[in-house]
Amino acid sequence: MTPEAIPKTASKPVDLKARIRSLVAARETGVLLALLVICVFLTFGTNSFLTVRNLLNVGRQISLLGMMAIGMTFVLVCREVDLSVGSTYAISGLVTGMLIIRGSTLVPALSAGLALGTAIGTINGLLSTYGKLPSFIATLGMLSVVRGTALLITDGQPVTVDTTQGGRREVVNQFYELGQGQLFGLIPMLLVCFLIVAAIAGFVLAKTTFGFRVYAVGGSEKAARLSGIQVFQTKILTFGLMGLLSGFAGILSLAFLPSGQAGRTGVGLELDVIAAAIVGGASLSGGEGTILGTIFGTLIIGILRNGLVLLSISPFWQTTVIGLVIISAVGLDKWTALRRNE
Amino acid sequence: MNIRSLQLGFLSSILAGLLPVIVSAQDNTSFTLAKSIQDRVAKGEKPIIRVSYHDVSNEFAPFIRKGVEKAATDFNVDVKLVGPVGADAEKQVSEIESLIEKGVDGLAISSVSTDALAPVIQRAMAQGIPVVTFNTDNPSSKRLAFVGQDLVQSGRVAGKLLADTLGEKGNVIITTLDAAAQWSIDREKGAREALGKYPGIKILTTVTTGTEPQQIYGSVENAMQAHPNVEGILSLECCSTPAAGQYVERNGLVGKVKIVGFDMLPETIRLVQGNVIAATIDQGPEKQSYGAVSLLLDVLKGNKIHDVDTGAVVYNSKNIGDYVVASKEHK
Repeated sequence: MTPEAIPKTASKPVDLKARIRSLVAARETGVLLALLVICVFLTFGTNSFLTVRNLLNVGRQISLLGMMAIGMTFVLVCREVDLSVGSTYAISGLVTGMLIIRGSTLVPALSAGLALGTAIGTINGLLSTYGKLPSFIATLGMLSVVRGTALLITDGQPVTVDTTQGGRREVVNQFYELGQGQLFGLIPMLLVCFLIVAAIAGFVLAKTTFGFRVYAVGGSEKAARLSGIQVFQTKILTFGLMGLLSGFAGILSLAFLPSGQAGRTGVGLELDVIAAAIVGGASLSGGEGTILGTIFGTLIIGILRNGLVLLSISPFWQTTVIGLVIISAVGLDKWTALRRNE
Repeated sequence: MNIRSLQLGFLSSILAGLLPVIVSAQDNTSFTLAKSIQDRVAKGEKPIIRVSYHDVSNEFAPFIRKGVEKAATDFNVDVKLVGPVGADAEKQVSEIESLIEKGVDGLAISSVSTDALAPVIQRAMAQGIPVVTFNTDNPSSKRLAFVGQDLVQSGRVAGKLLADTLGEKGNVIITTLDAAAQWSIDREKGAREALGKYPGIKILTTVTTGTEPQQIYGSVENAMQAHPNVEGILSLECCSTPAAGQYVERNGLVGKVKIVGFDMLPETIRLVQGNVIAATIDQGPEKQSYGAVSLLLDVLKGNKIHDVDTGAVVYNSKNIGDYVVASKEHK
């Protein structure tokens, strides 16, 4: 495939050299290196970074962002973008919460939230394909529509999942367990959910026909169409997946907190989600991006946020630094890509 | 030509910035009600009043709206809550501008940014439309009066409460959604002043949590990780108060870390009832919007008006039941 592809007859040392070379050239390596540098710095710069407790905290803090960034990776690879994810995240959680405090059992409430998320994603997909709208515009519109609907259905009131608000005790407890529980009394459930989603998504994008189609559509829509791939269908599916994951993240968020508010929950989240995927190597021009890269990208953003607080750096600097990291990560990636192509 | 017009624009924007100062320097005389409004009042027409809140989608807005609705029925006036979805000074200003154009008999305004809102308040007053501020004051605008909490004083109350709860010694962090916002600066000033009176109390840092719920919780968590020796948390607003309580509750720190916060969100009430949060301070948001409408009606009647302090009512596990009962009766 690549010029460096190793002939089978190659002797062992050459094999190793080539392997290192392909490793260095791999998309994720740069991000991983940046991540390691940050971690090493924080380990020596603070005495609270490298503790099991703190690392589990960071793991939990990035889980929801990571889940959505994974969905965004599919969308970006398809050469589309979804700006409505923060609103979808809010409305799915709020609807699930409202059903629970109106006395619903867990499964119908969760199904309703997930179905709503998926439906919003599918609408985004339909608008961006058959609707002929650029996804930037379609999802920008949906960002407002969905946020406004969330405000309308909640009447601007916070939704708190609690027995005093009307939820059934056993249902509320199950819901809390989903968001606040710990596997083996240690690993936060949100992190567990994230790892499961990541494993499935990694497999789907890298190993299945659907994953192949996503790359093909993003690489060249025309070529994909000519080779018989149903471009629209593929795109709609990725938007649907994005909606499903946003909905799932929103439900988990409410289960963790356990209170949400339509005017605040998930506002501005879309930018973090896109940033995480982009830092991880996904490209706005489509065809590029991996789940592993996105996980690293999410970790960089999460660890920076955590580390800058541990270092007692002013919040205004935190905002600035995260912006600089996005620019330099993407810059570095482009620069190495140029070198790779030479 | 372009540079020229830029310079001109720049100059005029400086002048526009200075204008309110000039006007307010000369404007020592009292406000006169517009002729058209006087006529409408004389004819006995229903007064039109608009209450502009700086973010109609935040947690606080339902309380503000409740006060507006109560005023509408109690006083039989045409009063509505308006304002932007999401705190946005520019949108708020343009909405108020169109209200001035349309013609209203009075405006109650809460501003997210004092500087941005002052000129438009000035303009309304210059046209004879009475303006009062509520919840968040705008003193530089020369509004007629302010209805709300004395924010610096409420910060002092919170600081004193925390100091008492801590036995006058311990390490403290302050949390706020936005350390740079005027309300936060005011409350923090009061809190630091009160806590500063106790030599045994050390304020480690002020944490800005951001406004997104997961971020708020994550920021509290990170700050507690950075400062494991914290014994007291002073939250300056509605929304990091329950987050601090949840963190303490979930990490086995109840009793070891004392919390004093603000406002009456459902989670806050639950945590106060469970003695996780030592005390929370109610600023009576319904009274703020209700009181603002009432003051405007006084102006229309030709009465003199004064600032109204809606106070700082302290609730702890002993008296929070009263609030719960009262709010249920209200519904």
